Amino acid sequence: MKKLWVVTLSTYLRQVKSWSFVILVLSPFIMLAVSFGVGFVSANSAADSDQIAVVSNQSAVRQAYIKVVGHDQVDQRVKTETAAKKALKKEAIKGYLVLSAGQRYQATYHGTEAMASFDKTRLTSFLNKLQTQANVVRAKLSHRQLSQLQQQPIFKQVVQKKDGLAKIAKLASFWILVFMVYMILTTYSSITAQEIASEKGTKVMEIIFSSTTAGKYFCGKILGVLMVIATQLVVYLLGGWASLIAAHHMSMADSFFRDYGSLVNQVIGNLVSVNLLFLFLGVIIYTILAAFSGALVAKAEDASKASYPAVYLSMAAFFATFPFQNNADALLVKILSYVPFFSSYFMPLRIINGVASPVEIGFSLGLLIVAILLLVWYISGIYKGLILQADEGNLWHRFRRGLSYR
Amino acid sequence: MLAIEHLSKHFGELQALNDVNFNVEKGEIMGLIGQNGAGKSTTFHSILSFIHYDGTINWDGQPITEAVFNQIGYLPEERSLMPKMTIEQQILYLAQLKGQSARKIRSEIDDWMARFEVKGKKNDKIKSLSKGNQQKVQLICTLIHHPSLIILDEPFSGLDPVNVDLLEQAISNAKREGAAIIFSSHDMGNVEALCDQLVMLRKGDMVLHGEIRAIRDQFGKSEIFVTTPWSAVELQQLPHVIKVTSLSNQRYLLRVDDPTAGREIFQRLSHGEYIEEFSQQPPTLDEIFRMKAGNDQ
Repeated sequence: MKKLWVVTLSTYLRQVKSWSFVILVLSPFIMLAVSFGVGFVSANSAADSDQIAVVSNQSAVRQAYIKVVGHDQVDQRVKTETAAKKALKKEAIKGYLVLSAGQRYQATYHGTEAMASFDKTRLTSFLNKLQTQANVVRAKLSHRQLSQLQQQPIFKQVVQKKDGLAKIAKLASFWILVFMVYMILTTYSSITAQEIASEKGTKVMEIIFSSTTAGKYFCGKILGVLMVIATQLVVYLLGGWASLIAAHHMSMADSFFRDYGSLVNQVIGNLVSVNLLFLFLGVIIYTILAAFSGALVAKAEDASKASYPAVYLSMAAFFATFPFQNNADALLVKILSYVPFFSSYFMPLRIINGVASPVEIGFSLGLLIVAILLLVWYISGIYKGLILQADEGNLWHRFRRGLSYR
Repeated sequence: MLAIEHLSKHFGELQALNDVNFNVEKGEIMGLIGQNGAGKSTTFHSILSFIHYDGTINWDGQPITEAVFNQIGYLPEERSLMPKMTIEQQILYLAQLKGQSARKIRSEIDDWMARFEVKGKKNDKIKSLSKGNQQKVQLICTLIHHPSLIILDEPFSGLDPVNVDLLEQAISNAKREGAAIIFSSHDMGNVEALCDQLVMLRKGDMVLHGEIRAIRDQFGKSEIFVTTPWSAVELQQLPHVIKVTSLSNQRYLLRVDDPTAGREIFQRLSHGEYIEEFSQQPPTLDEIFRMKAGNDQ
């Protein structure tokens, strides 16, 4: 176990200390920070000219209206009509509203463009409320008369928002998941295949195999790569969680979370579930395949070609999911959701769409785990032969030559 | 003791080794010689369990399995290390795979680097070292865990004379520490200087085996070094002389087909008078190698 750990740790540290890993892990956060930064700067720079000023002969009325439209929509430094005129002339505000309180409430909007219909409706409603209150006070009505006057018509609408949202959440979850699986698979298949292929036929492998068994070395390598993948996933989970918390505290994201908070929660729920296990196990089985194909290259110089089999198979599985994103109950999807190498794409598709029972999920996971164990057992047995032989023949010839070392 | 009995290996039609038998005791050095393709590396690969073979190979009475790996120090024919690692990382990695603790190895690295006169710091990357220094680092990796079975495949190839001396010293030290050492070499001088016994392979067959002195004697004293005013043509006429080689001015090497002819040749050359040089010796290891390898051509 100690030697296995030495190989695992060495593989892990070599990868995580590389610049390519640091860039790979940090790039989504850098992109997120950049896009937030750009959004923040553009929002701030546009803020002044998108604001209006509100002036009134009654400060209470002014404050009440500012509260209705939102503090960030009003330039509150402008309090008089003269100041508002100047600000509009300088294009520091897009317009100003003069509210006159008296027997009759009156509002006049001065601006470069007409007031938006939504704003107009909101303003009219605000003024109606004030005018009604004033009218009631002046008419000296009894409670009964007042309550009769306040009777309003009833309008109801029932929108199946939950179902619609769930559908969007499924679609978003599906795309995020398959892209995550595909990106992680292709990245680490390539890293693993090249790592193994670069050692192919080198004499340092003879020194290593005179120190530990090829099976232990192979498992150590795979575990090392898996620790790297786990590190990346943990960084993404923690980073995503921290970004979510940070976004909740940003005023610019308030409206987004108000409108789409439930969608975001559903997508997160779909991702941080058993699907993550399928993703992780999928990465393991593709990593093992990549290691195997890395060991099959003719020589270390061919390392760049080593990842092709794993990457192409991963691409085939990835593109095969496309026609079924709205048809997760199709027979082919059911079959492929049990086939190792494909199940990491197809079972999550069924899970997201709620068409897989716990027994089916468990069976698919079991098959995937058994396939991984069988592959590790088989490749461990022939690994020494595959790595030590340096024949120039074709792939099949090299494979057979590797087997002859058994 | 390393005991090899009836070792045979074939790759398809090719018989790489055929019934090879020898032992290497602890504190003994065995030279394994033979032309390219004779089966030297296949013998080493069999000892190290890289390949499956027929016959038995035991170390201290046990088959060589992972349990024995920590006692083995192996230097492959071509030098190869991990270029992106530092000297310290490389030595630590390979020593830890030999079951050594990192702390112990860290405390010894400076001493080993000084002993092998490695030029550079232990934080230098392997790829930044000269070829000679990389070879020294690889030797340190082979020996730092004090193995009791040392297998060196062409350890002297590519070394300058100073480094050859360093390596010879290291091998001798390991022998004194009680290690069983087996190495292959094309340089018979190294083999003759270091080895207690040798095995010569030809096309997988063991054609010579034994102590070096005994092997040389078994070829008889068939060489006569002589300094004489006689010409090469005149010397060729002497009885039992089959070949005359001029070594320098008036100095010749006569090869005879019957070692007992030496007395008669001496008498014919000296006529009872003073003769500056007359020395009858067995053939050198290099000559034996050429003779045996010659049969291969």
